[in-house]
Amino acid sequence: MLPSFRYVRPRTVSEAVKALAAEGARAHAGGTDLLGCLRDGVFDAKSVVSLSGLDDLKGISPTKDGGLKIGALTTLAEVARHPGIAKGWPALAQGAAAAASPQLRNQGTLGGNLCQRPRCWYFRGDFDCARKGGEICYAVEGENTYHAIFGGSGCFIVHPSDTASPLVALRATVKVVGPKGARSLPVEKLFVLPAVDHTRETILAPGEVLTEVLLPPPLEGAKGLYRKVRSRGAWDFALGGVALALSVKDGKVASAGVVLSGVAPTPWRVPEVEKLLVGKALDAKLAAEAAELAVKGAEPMSGNDYKVPLVKGAVEEALLALA
Amino acid sequence: MTDLLYWLQGPVPETEPPTAEMPPWGETKVVGKPVPRVDAYERVSGSAVYPLDFALPDMLHAAILRSPHAHARVKAIDTSAAEKMPGVRAILTAFSPGADVPWYRSRGRFYSKLFDERVRHEGDEVAAVAAETRAQAFDALKAIRVEYEEFAFVLDPRESLAPDAPLVHDGGNRYGEPARYERGDLAAGFAAADAVVEATYSTACEIHAPMEVHGSVAKWDGNRLTIWDSTQGVFVVQQMVAGALKLPLANVRVIGHYMGGGFGSKLEAGKYTVIAALLAKTTARPVKLFLTREEVFLNAGNRPANTMKVKIGAKKDGALTAIEFSSIGSGGAYPNGADTSFLATDLYTCPNVAAVDENVAINAGRARAMRAPGFPQGAWALEQAMDELALKLGMDPVALRLANVPKVSQRRGNLPYTSTGLAECLRDGAKAFGWETTRAAKKDDGPIRKGYGVAAGMWGYGGGPPARVVVKLFADGSVNVNAGAADIGTGTKTVMAQTVAEELGVPLEKIRIEHADTGTTQYSGPSGGSKTVPSDMPAARAAAVEVRTKLLAGAAEELKVPAAELKLEGADVVSTKDPAKKLAVTEVPALQRNQVIVGVGTRGPNVEGKVISMFAAHFAEVEVNVRTGEVSVTKLVAAQDSARVMNRLTFECQVQGGLVMGLGLGRTEERVLDRQTGKMVNANWHDYKIPTALDVPVAQEVLSAELVDTECNTAGAKGVGEPATIPTAAAIANAVRDAVGLRVHDSPITPPKLAALLAAAGKKG
Ligand SMILES: Cc1cc2nc3c(=O)[nH]c(=O)nc-3n(C[C@@H](O)[C@@H](O)[C@H](O)COP(=O)(O)OP(=O)(O)OC[C@H]3O[C@@H](n4cnc5c(N)ncnc54)[C@H](O)[C@@H]3O)c2cc1C
Ligand code: SF4
Repeated sequence: MLPSFRYVRPRTVSEAVKALAAEGARAHAGGTDLLGCLRDGVFDAKSVVSLSGLDDLKGISPTKDGGLKIGALTTLAEVARHPGIAKGWPALAQGAAAAASPQLRNQGTLGGNLCQRPRCWYFRGDFDCARKGGEICYAVEGENTYHAIFGGSGCFIVHPSDTASPLVALRATVKVVGPKGARSLPVEKLFVLPAVDHTRETILAPGEVLTEVLLPPPLEGAKGLYRKVRSRGAWDFALGGVALALSVKDGKVASAGVVLSGVAPTPWRVPEVEKLLVGKALDAKLAAEAAELAVKGAEPMSGNDYKVPLVKGAVEEALLALA
Repeated sequence: MTDLLYWLQGPVPETEPPTAEMPPWGETKVVGKPVPRVDAYERVSGSAVYPLDFALPDMLHAAILRSPHAHARVKAIDTSAAEKMPGVRAILTAFSPGADVPWYRSRGRFYSKLFDERVRHEGDEVAAVAAETRAQAFDALKAIRVEYEEFAFVLDPRESLAPDAPLVHDGGNRYGEPARYERGDLAAGFAAADAVVEATYSTACEIHAPMEVHGSVAKWDGNRLTIWDSTQGVFVVQQMVAGALKLPLANVRVIGHYMGGGFGSKLEAGKYTVIAALLAKTTARPVKLFLTREEVFLNAGNRPANTMKVKIGAKKDGALTAIEFSSIGSGGAYPNGADTSFLATDLYTCPNVAAVDENVAINAGRARAMRAPGFPQGAWALEQAMDELALKLGMDPVALRLANVPKVSQRRGNLPYTSTGLAECLRDGAKAFGWETTRAAKKDDGPIRKGYGVAAGMWGYGGGPPARVVVKLFADGSVNVNAGAADIGTGTKTVMAQTVAEELGVPLEKIRIEHADTGTTQYSGPSGGSKTVPSDMPAARAAAVEVRTKLLAGAAEELKVPAAELKLEGADVVSTKDPAKKLAVTEVPALQRNQVIVGVGTRGPNVEGKVISMFAAHFAEVEVNVRTGEVSVTKLVAAQDSARVMNRLTFECQVQGGLVMGLGLGRTEERVLDRQTGKMVNANWHDYKIPTALDVPVAQEVLSAELVDTECNTAGAKGVGEPATIPTAAAIANAVRDAVGLRVHDSPITPPKLAALLAAAGKKG
């Protein structure tokens, strides 16, 4: 059952910012995540602020520098089927296409995808866990098959988004508008590790709205993909995955973005792997070496050590696919 | 076992002889044809009113407060704040008058109450509210204050009998003594074997998860109660409600026209049914009480998890010499069946067999029969063990099974089957699948490995009495069929209309089925156990034959020829000797005088000295990614022996549905209980993973052995719903073994499990 809340539908971003600055206000983009959270009592809402009236936040358009601006309200389906994205930034198109199900992709937005709450079943269920302000993280001693092998401390969620890792790999930025004005930051900086604050996933302050995602112009010889491993064919979050954004020049990797998904509380960039790849020709040996390096330092919990070989396998396969 | 028998092994009830003599059908005109559902339009257009859609003027909405703890005692309940909430009309707790109703009966005693002060699993009922709106009812639940004293709990059946295990019930954690079965000399059998395999297998607990949640609408007229229920059997609900409320059966009318799936979880009245009735009585208003999806996951039944140990021995030629099988499972916090040994004792010829089934209590939701209860679990263990045996013997797995096809049911007094298609299923399935050629062409390299697997199964319940159907032929030639059976989505109404059309020659559009209403239709047992076609169609046929006999007799009088000379042809009665002698059905004076001709058909007893069983062999092709542990099932072939196929379309629907459910058991479905709290962490559609369209292979083939069985019943058809899901998961497991050389003993076969196993085995692409 949904709680009772006030519903507002502002027409401008500044109205939205104002409405969202109120205590207990929640932004509603596609609502595919928000409504589930409210219905399941994960958190409450005093008011729900629909973003659907903000036409400025819709649509995909080229930027002057040859990049792309994607409004936060653009649906995942639109991102997935946009021919320009599929060509210039394939990891993002594939990430959007790998999320959820067709119905959810038609309704869910890119902004909502980045700001969605975690899927940890204790968080979503009837458990007063640390992320909800409780004392303990139930995953530590409990059912942690789907939890983090990197970056956990006090809380071991994995970031649920399938577009976040591609965006980090692509070095995308987001624009955020809030009571104090607008700011831009790399997608990588949007997310918060539990060691910093285990009660939130993004740095967004009350009243702040994510308005757009900016993709830098594609590099020469750009290649990329998103590989997601899941338990069933659709309607399922990543058990592990990897986003690759490479550029290849003269047969050698010129630049590399390598970001894991489904393994850490944030998209998990592996700079060592990126470094390893640059300047080398991508072949089976390098792919195997890179895959090994990608899972180095993993700290599996009692029930998720499978993620180490799984992610390693996914990285190796993904790199070979681009070789 | 509980008293709610689904898998009937006891004596057949006393029955009247069938009302009409019926030779087996030869060639049929309507039966067997791929006829679309008679209610297809209603179902797809949304005009069919399911119980969940049902609304009455002035109706209240109810909701149930459930224990958040796995095991606790309710020390105090304070409903005062909730009572004052807007719209709240009644609150029921253990202390409310009339609510002291015993519940969960098994082996002659009750294990709990409608609201028990001791709650034994998360989701056990604590209180209920009726309010003007559903939202108000749920708001009120939140305002009820309950004080619990928490107890230690046990979740794993394998730990339930440990000396220090918490007691779920004060008498101990065993539901009855272990059920033992033995024949021959096990030790001698193993001594004579050339090869022996032994391993432990387990299946995860599955939830039925029907599309329509469980629930009822209750309405009183004085001391007479009417219930609209989403149920597989209106008469079972009538009996349980009448018993609980101490009402005469005649005062309880249960109606269940449409229902959105049950899979065995709706073979009984729920507590929700009785709670709705009590709230309706208290408020003097109709009350609607449907569970939420989460409640269905927690407390509307499950297929229990089972751990099974199998040891099999065979001679070099594949002849089985001994089978030892032991199983432990749990009916849950309250008794229900959890036995799995039947297949191991009856599917294959084997002289020396010992089996034992243990059923213990745990602090988790109570099991309910789930599509072939016990059998997919038993097949998971037995059929993987057979596969191992084939490997050890160096035999083709199909050949090994064919070498052990029994002619008689060893578990049931060595009685012969009315028909047995196990060998046909194996042979036809292998042929359609391309078993030999694909296996021969298999390559064992690269990161994606293909594998092929087979498994067989049987279902040993052929239906039976009591079942009664009334057919009315009206003066205009249209027909009304009155039958108590529920159509649980399998196509019962359609097949029944075909049966009657076959005998009366009336077009399907002129037949209307009145069904599943204890007030107006004839008694039938619940639709479960794959028994509805074999139980109710013979009764429908008998009723139609009686109508025809009366009609021909009436026509004979008018045409002045012996009735034996007459036949029905379309809308006419015609003489077989002189085609000029004919009379329109509607002109038969006996029909005109009475405006109706009525035929009553009953289901006669089953044939003596024989047993009725259905058989199946499933074949699976999988692709495993050895880097990531991903498994995709790329092809399934199901070969079924259900004797006559009553309707090719509904038959295929049943088999395809069975395959998908089997795929769920084998690949994706698993109830997960948190070891710290005993609470279910995946009580939702997303975390409890039912296969999606993308998990079900496009390449699916359904075969029928089409055996002629004139003895199983007068329709010549055995059931299909359950045998269609029994071997699927095991066939998939065997295919995975074939693909990567590793066996996953515990269902489901997920990337997490397989990635870990592959890594441990050092498998690489
Ligand atoms: C069954 C199921 C399966 C799913 N599977 C996947 C999957 O495989 N992969 C995946 O990535 N996702 C999955 N999802 C999550 C799905 O909800 C997101 O993919 C979707 O993109 C969210 O977008 P939305 O517009 O509906 O977000 P909403 O529900 O509207 O919002 C989500 C959250 O973000 C906040 N928010 C939304 N927009 C903004 C904004 N512009 N600025 C600030 N805050 C904002 C909201 O307040 C809310 O807290 C699944 C969801 C479901 C229900
Ligand atoms: S992982 Fe985080 S969200 Fe999950 S139980 Fe632990 S603290 Fe809560």
